[in-house]
Amino acid sequence: MDQAPEAGEFMLADLGGPVREALFPSTPVGDGFDTVVPPGHGATRLLPGATVDMLGPLGRGFRLAPTGYPIARLLLIAGAESLPLLGPLFQAAPSVVLVVEAATRAQLPPPNRFPPTVELTLVTRDGSAGYLGPLEAEGAAPAGLERAHTRLVELVAWAERICVAHDPSRYPALAALVKRVRLQPHADLAQAIVRVPMPCGAGVCDVCRVATPRGERRACVDGPVFDLLDFLPE
Amino acid sequence: MIELAPNHKYGLAIDVPLMPASGAFGYGDAYGDLVDISGLGAIVTNPISLQPRQATQGRRIAVHEDSFVVHTGWPNPGARRVIRDYGATWERLTVPVIVHLLANHTSEVARAAALFSAVPNVRAIELGFTAAASRKRAVELVTAAAVEGDLPVIAQIPFDRVDDLAPYLARQGVDALTLTAPPRAVLPVDENGEDPGVARFGRGRLYGRALFPLLLNTLSRWAVKLPVPVIACGGIASPDDALACLTLGAAAVQVDALLWRDPSLLDRIARALAKPRAAYPAVTHLLSPNEPETEENV
Repeated sequence: MDQAPEAGEFMLADLGGPVREALFPSTPVGDGFDTVVPPGHGATRLLPGATVDMLGPLGRGFRLAPTGYPIARLLLIAGAESLPLLGPLFQAAPSVVLVVEAATRAQLPPPNRFPPTVELTLVTRDGSAGYLGPLEAEGAAPAGLERAHTRLVELVAWAERICVAHDPSRYPALAALVKRVRLQPHADLAQAIVRVPMPCGAGVCDVCRVATPRGERRACVDGPVFDLLDFLPE
Repeated sequence: MIELAPNHKYGLAIDVPLMPASGAFGYGDAYGDLVDISGLGAIVTNPISLQPRQATQGRRIAVHEDSFVVHTGWPNPGARRVIRDYGATWERLTVPVIVHLLANHTSEVARAAALFSAVPNVRAIELGFTAAASRKRAVELVTAAAVEGDLPVIAQIPFDRVDDLAPYLARQGVDALTLTAPPRAVLPVDENGEDPGVARFGRGRLYGRALFPLLLNTLSRWAVKLPVPVIACGGIASPDDALACLTLGAAAVQVDALLWRDPSLLDRIARALAKPRAAYPAVTHLLSPNEPETEENV
């Protein structure tokens, strides 16, 4: 591989189907990368040692900081099913806090899966472990539970960069939270990845169009990482 | 040199009988270094409407086995914005640009055709019709584009309207025909394990290798009978496929969404088509183009 994809970028792999499928890096490995795919994905039918034709890296990945100006405090926010998309960022700053939200305790990843430098904040929407979700929900929590929202507000105020991989339907509310906490957030302070089918990878097919309050964008060339505030309701 | 509009005052001459199909290649520069545009005969733009259009909501692609359907609603920024964004790019291209217009309303087609006719290197208009367009309506749209645009007009015929529309439009003065637009189809959605046991479906334009024999059937029945050049489109996935279409009478070929999987396909076909005609492989077909279909020979 000539060049491995960075966090949020993708490769389009020819896995034998009529269209290519996007592979996102979850962990850099040497000159290549590990990737996590859902059950039934075309990649699961590959035999060990198989050669795969790939195009890429493609897309606009996470943008942490200009060269020479490293950030120190990185906040990662993920839904459990989207967590691998943030994998390449686990060690991207001296201080990384990872907020992982799942429906219930069984869907949370085991803590030993993360580098020891990552500070974990676990959230479940049923309150079975960690903070009580959803992330953006305010208000009093049942006895014995603590709302994730309170902790998230602290973390948003603390972070120099915020990278999100979650269900895009949650992005407007998360964008509103960032806007409330940071008042005048600069461009790219908070970024969010959208994972949709991207069969052409070149901005041609329009299959990957993402609707935002500021108009439609194409995930494969304008994204798949967007400024979270692009999703801020007008 | 291949002339795709021999009856038009300006004509539409191309060096190589090959172009990407509308909707497969964007507006010309999307594939960058992956495709050598100078090796093509022309480029055909994504479908363009006079006014901006947004994409459909919900799932836009369904993949099943070797086929897929796409339903996007043909989003585009509208004619004026496309000209602003891509006009300079088109002017620099060494091959002609064929603008594909969404043909819904006569007045819109007329205005859009007039706008594009003033753009350097835009050399023809391709019209895409809805499957329900009547003959009368189709002729009105072609006439609107031809009169206001003053450029050759190519009609892209809906898949299941060839027998009806192709000979009629050819007689009514269209300059060339693209056979055909992708058929509409429904495919089950492969959900990668989500909701097992629950069937979901996607509806849209069908693409895949399975279209190719259907294209050959259409060409064998119509290409040499029609009085205008025919551009073949549907399931072409190799140089041999393109050569087979030309052998059956097509004047040129369009490569559809199959090039998304393999953008180098265009370059490979271009190289094959650059060979002298005598080097084309012989194509064996069971039914001669002019032989009527009967129960015995079908």
